[in-house]
Amino acid sequence: MTRAMGFHAPVTLDEATALLAADADARCLAGGATLVAMMNAGLVEPSTLVSLRHIDALRGIEPVGDGFRIGAMTTHRETASDARLDGGHAAVREAAAVIANPAVRNMGTMGGSIAFADPAADYPPALVAIEAEIEIAGADGRRRVTAADFFTDWYETALAPGEIVAAIHLPAMPAGARGTYHKLARVAGDFATASVAVVLAMAGDSCCHLRIAIGGCGPTPVRLAEVETRLIGGELDAPAVREAGEMLARAADPVDDARASADYRRLVIPRLLARAIERARAGGAS
Amino acid sequence: MRIEQSFTIAAPRERVWRAITDPARMAPCIPGCDAIEITGSGRYRIRVAVAMGPVKATFNLDVEVTEETPPGFVASITRGEEGTRASVLTAHSELHLAAIDGGATEVRYISEISIVGRLGRFGLGVMKKKAASLGDAFAQSFRARVEAEAAA
Repeated sequence: MTRAMGFHAPVTLDEATALLAADADARCLAGGATLVAMMNAGLVEPSTLVSLRHIDALRGIEPVGDGFRIGAMTTHRETASDARLDGGHAAVREAAAVIANPAVRNMGTMGGSIAFADPAADYPPALVAIEAEIEIAGADGRRRVTAADFFTDWYETALAPGEIVAAIHLPAMPAGARGTYHKLARVAGDFATASVAVVLAMAGDSCCHLRIAIGGCGPTPVRLAEVETRLIGGELDAPAVREAGEMLARAADPVDDARASADYRRLVIPRLLARAIERARAGGAS
Repeated sequence: MRIEQSFTIAAPRERVWRAITDPARMAPCIPGCDAIEITGSGRYRIRVAVAMGPVKATFNLDVEVTEETPPGFVASITRGEEGTRASVLTAHSELHLAAIDGGATEVRYISEISIVGRLGRFGLGVMKKKAASLGDAFAQSFRARVEAEAAA
């Protein structure tokens, strides 16, 4: 069954949100890396596509104070190759660098990826670990939610019908912080079997800042404040990190699927965490 | 995929049996079910809408009760489709009611579900989680209904 599909390419965000508000079955089209694949598979049949390609306000990575505003239409390639995203912000750059393959990284956008909210995608844990905020635009104006509140369930987000992601705000990181993203995938380019994003800062031998988020192991990234509290002030020795990883594994709710069993995912979480912490202390991904 | 879930209701087994074998009382507790039609003895047709993120599906399902042993066992076969046969679903289900201490009832069901077609392309692991959360929602609303009837 096919029917004529509408197509709009507005140049302002207000036009885009008005078009989306007017039609509940309209979908916005960002890079198309996911939406077009789902349309081809017959899983999504939008009445109208609202392309966001020509809206300048959705583009580019801008420094804001000591943080950044990343426009929703910024491609994974742009994020992965922006050397300004270092220190704690490197967690997001490293996540962008391991999404799928070069073709997808050239098309896919941060806004599109997080709006789809695949639980095995790379940005969600990175954005939760650096405590990013998501700027949402709708016909009634703008609002911001934390990344932790943005991801609500399997493929579900805080976006209301007609709303779109306008930007992702990365806050300033503590002095000396280092972020990293460590992904376990069956083959290069696959979704994560499990992944870990870490942002940490050390004062001498003791940890003074730590954020951990686990990806691919539940409906939304797994972050436990109590795990971070226990480790902050300590030396991040192997037994303490192992125990933290086990607490996170118990809190996870992974699926059994073609990539791995739920038990396997729980098993690898502590090991991935240990490696990610080691890597962050050594200065990030090599 | 195999779905196995159980929950308890603070009501005697006979009362739970009457409610769960009455489509008019049971179907409204199914999340997303907006229509039910009795098509014969032990046969009914239901319509159930399910959504996960951007993917939305409305199933038209024919349920046929193949075995019924009051007041504790029902076996049924469900067949149906969604999106003008874009996906086809078949499920073999068993329902067990067991009386437990204090006049309560344990409801346990096992369903072996196969979905082919467009939804079959969706991750099975996530679909199973979705089925479990729909099952929990059903348990909550069915329990509330039967306990309210028992208290009345």
